[in-house]
Amino acid sequence: MAPPSRIGTIRASGPSGMPRIEIIGLTRRLPSGERVLTILDNVDLAIAPGEFVAVLGPSGSGKSTLLALMAGLDRPTSGEVLIDGQPITALSEDRLALLRRHKIGFVFQSFQLLGNLTARENVLLPAELAGLADPFARADELLAAVGLEDRGHHYPSQLSGGEQQRVALARAFATRPPILLADEPTGNLDGATGRKILELLAEMRRAEGTTLVLVTHDPSVAALADRLVHLRDGRVERQEAPLAAPAGALP
Amino acid sequence: MRGPVFISTLLRESRGARGRLGFFIACLAVGVSAVVAVAGVSSSLDEGIRLEARQLLGADLAIAGHRPPLAGYDFAAAGLGGVRRSLVKETVTVVAAPPDAAGRPGPSQVVELKAVGSDYPFYGKLTLHPARPLGELLDEGTTVVASELLARLHLRIGDVLRIGGLGFRISGVVLSEPDRISISMTMGPRVFVSPAGLARTPLEARGSRFNYRLLLKFPSGTAGAAIQAAAERLKNEMPDAAFYRIETYRDAQPALRENLARVERFLGLVALLSLFVGGIGVAETVRAWLAGKLDAIAMLKCLGMRPREVFFLFLGQTALLGLAGSLAGIAVGGGVQALLPSLFSDLIPAGLSHPWQPGALLRGLGLGLGVALLFSLPPLATVLRVPPARVLRHDAEPLSLHRWASAAAVAALAAGVLLLAAAQSRSWLLGGRFTGGVAVVTAALALAALLVSRAVRRVPRDFARPWLRHGLAALARPGAVTLGAIVALGLGVLVVLAMSLVERRLARELTRELPTGAPTSFLVDIQPDQWPGVRELLGKAGASRIDSAPVVIARLQAIDGASVEDLAGRARQDGGRRWALTREQRLTYMRDLPADNKVIAGTLWGEPRQAEVSVEQGFAEDLGLHLGSRLRFDVEGVPVELTVTSIRTVNWHTFGINFFLVVKPGVLDQAPQQRLAAVRLPRGADQQLQDGLAARYPNVTVLRIREILDKILAVLNRIALGVRFLGVFTVLAGIAILAGALSAGAARRGREVALLKTLGMTRGGVALTFAVEYALIGLVAGAIGACGAAVLAWEVVTRGFELAGEIELLPLVLALLLSTLLTIFAGLAASSNALRRRPVEVLRGEG
Repeated sequence: MAPPSRIGTIRASGPSGMPRIEIIGLTRRLPSGERVLTILDNVDLAIAPGEFVAVLGPSGSGKSTLLALMAGLDRPTSGEVLIDGQPITALSEDRLALLRRHKIGFVFQSFQLLGNLTARENVLLPAELAGLADPFARADELLAAVGLEDRGHHYPSQLSGGEQQRVALARAFATRPPILLADEPTGNLDGATGRKILELLAEMRRAEGTTLVLVTHDPSVAALADRLVHLRDGRVERQEAPLAAPAGALP
Repeated sequence: MRGPVFISTLLRESRGARGRLGFFIACLAVGVSAVVAVAGVSSSLDEGIRLEARQLLGADLAIAGHRPPLAGYDFAAAGLGGVRRSLVKETVTVVAAPPDAAGRPGPSQVVELKAVGSDYPFYGKLTLHPARPLGELLDEGTTVVASELLARLHLRIGDVLRIGGLGFRISGVVLSEPDRISISMTMGPRVFVSPAGLARTPLEARGSRFNYRLLLKFPSGTAGAAIQAAAERLKNEMPDAAFYRIETYRDAQPALRENLARVERFLGLVALLSLFVGGIGVAETVRAWLAGKLDAIAMLKCLGMRPREVFFLFLGQTALLGLAGSLAGIAVGGGVQALLPSLFSDLIPAGLSHPWQPGALLRGLGLGLGVALLFSLPPLATVLRVPPARVLRHDAEPLSLHRWASAAAVAALAAGVLLLAAAQSRSWLLGGRFTGGVAVVTAALALAALLVSRAVRRVPRDFARPWLRHGLAALARPGAVTLGAIVALGLGVLVVLAMSLVERRLARELTRELPTGAPTSFLVDIQPDQWPGVRELLGKAGASRIDSAPVVIARLQAIDGASVEDLAGRARQDGGRRWALTREQRLTYMRDLPADNKVIAGTLWGEPRQAEVSVEQGFAEDLGLHLGSRLRFDVEGVPVELTVTSIRTVNWHTFGINFFLVVKPGVLDQAPQQRLAAVRLPRGADQQLQDGLAARYPNVTVLRIREILDKILAVLNRIALGVRFLGVFTVLAGIAILAGALSAGAARRGREVALLKTLGMTRGGVALTFAVEYALIGLVAGAIGACGAAVLAWEVVTRGFELAGEIELLPLVLALLLSTLLTIFAGLAASSNALRRRPVEVLRGEG
């Protein structure tokens, strides 16, 4: 078993005693020419409600695949993912889509905004899909929260990288998802902008009480997390609490 | 760069992009196949006509006119001693079954009567049943008829048929006739009689209008040049040569082939249009293809390839693709061409079709390659300006072209289009008009598409559901590719719909109930002494309106002292003027003009001392007549001198009796004449009237306007079918472009699908979102095309045909519906790969 973490046991539990995300024996293999590559190898992990977990590792260690499997974007070769106790690997594509619609928000390295839609419409889309009572109010509220209330009518191509990622943050929080998955959210941004985005992410997560799983190779980002999970060659190499760092004093 | 290196680099370079470039080939192939099909069918017919020219003429040389040619001509003295001659006489008349036992007239039918000698035809085969020579079946008292006539009159071989009031025993049935081409309109089934048989009837003597054709057969072995020379000599020497049409088999039906060529020029341009629409697709595909090649191009430049070499490298690939597309089009077009004659088997005699037409295939290849290279020039020009620095900085976009360079590319494109259009229509004027028209329409469509896009951008989208909003957003920010696709599809819709609207409008005019009070039938060739009796029959048949006028047949001899021979000789190139000069002129005389005539110059009958004539305006223009012109006519050998004292307009739409030439009463009253009558008959009464007339006045022919209109309608429908058939190619090209445009954006599309699925949209939701987007594109393209079609059709109907403008709504709605459905179908098919993308891919491909 992995060493105990600063905030409790590895098998983290929520108020009801159930982890928000539970990963059991997760394995993903991909054929590559004549060989079979093992991307993830028998990974076990449990993430408590409200917890912020940073997944670290060199490129090719399986970070993004782990994230994809948590969201049902990909299917494991074996093993299971449970979201709020519900096993998801056997769900149909459409059921998975509905699951994501209501429970999971995303932030990507390359922003992934829909180029034809305005900033506001990008934020609106998940809110409407989830059937929120007043999606417009929610979208405006979130745009204000990320400081873009004046730029809602702009198209992504008219925004800077940092602004695009802020729109992406607003979109990720649109449905108040209990889970937020972020894949190198600062990877395409310069240091200062990246830091601002990260602060914003951390702040919004705190305000909403969202469980956050963040994939990164940047240790300074990881410093904000409750727990660090180090992946290497598809296995959990070690888990630890980050070095104590005063909040807001990122390097 | 040396040749082999160039080729191998070229082949290597084209490797990865083959799937996408399939659309390049498809866009081109659609247009090429249309061009090949048109050129193939027409040249196959043309070849057939030339090969069968002797059979179609039935002779080496034929002289045709309204009077028997060369009567009393000394053939031996003219060096034509060894030439065999056969005179063919043709007329339209009414024949009838004999009266029944109770004396009631038998059923009657308008027919094309043909009197031929036993040596007819000199060439070709007359297929008869029973299979015996015509000379054996025809004598003074027998006739051979088309089987169709037997069916209509309920007669059989051996029964008696009344022709010109006299009984003829039907001795056989004619199955095919070498010199009767059904491409032209016929007035009724064929009836053959012998010259002696015709002489028994009163038809010729009582002034029925005959066409005479003197067939000449030269001794076998006579060189074609000698026959041609004889024809030239006859044109110069024979009396009244201007009034006859002299043709040799080497001319091979000039009138028929000219008509064919005219139809081909028109249809060829419609086909070319689909090729140009395909060209838009070619340009878009090349643009998208190059966009994905910028890194490779930069790398080639870094490796030391000169811009020029890179340009020719990609031009070479375009040419290869153009070749592939043209060959595919040729294969399809050749197939279509081989199939078409069977679709039109009743129009195109089997023997006339020669499917192997290398010329048509070559033309398809040339036009296809030309369009491929021409339309890829503007996008290809950008490779010249790709900065090699792109290998280091990925976002280094191609430098923009110099203004003069883009202008040159556009000018080259316009000049090339003009060149191809002129080549296809074999006329600079026609090609120029076509190019101008296409340019204007394309610009209008592009402008309309831009305006719609602007308007959609202004519309607030908050009200819309997400899938609708997505479609509206896509319309508000269409890429150049989508815009091109909208224009191309709109152009296709415009062509097909405009043709169909015009055709439907004409068809409605032709099928419409004749205006109240307008005549329903014409009675021709009534002798003056028969008129009271005919009137009586008309009264019995319930005719509600009877107009009649005397008709004096005359031949124009001179205008202001200049002989028609000279004038016609000078007007040889001007068919309309020549026709006006040498036709059989029909003069009438009357005191008061019909109500639909209006004198626009001079005064009607204002000169008591002169023999006055009033001339219709258009006819006066054709002949170059003005007030005071003196016309000399030959009325059955008697010269009559008339002075033009008034010019008038005629409303020809009323179907009333009208004449180009109206003479003052008193001048022609004693001349040999017949009466023409226009009558309105109650529905169904015309057959009974015709039966009665055929029994009592067999020389009178009844022409039913309804029947004639129906025949014109049938011809119109045929042409319209051909045009619509070709128009469909234009729409197909538009659809291929659309599919190509969408698949060119497949990478972006795929990311979009993955992202939408990640955000929690179900597969059905994504498909619906895309379907709505395509539906909107199709709807806009269809709407723009339909508006254009309505405007164009309106112009053609009101200006070209001078009919009241009416546009049917149903075809417009159908066009909208169809273009929308086709676009959804093509769009979903083109993005089916993208729709299968799994959401995990958002985490991979960056960008």
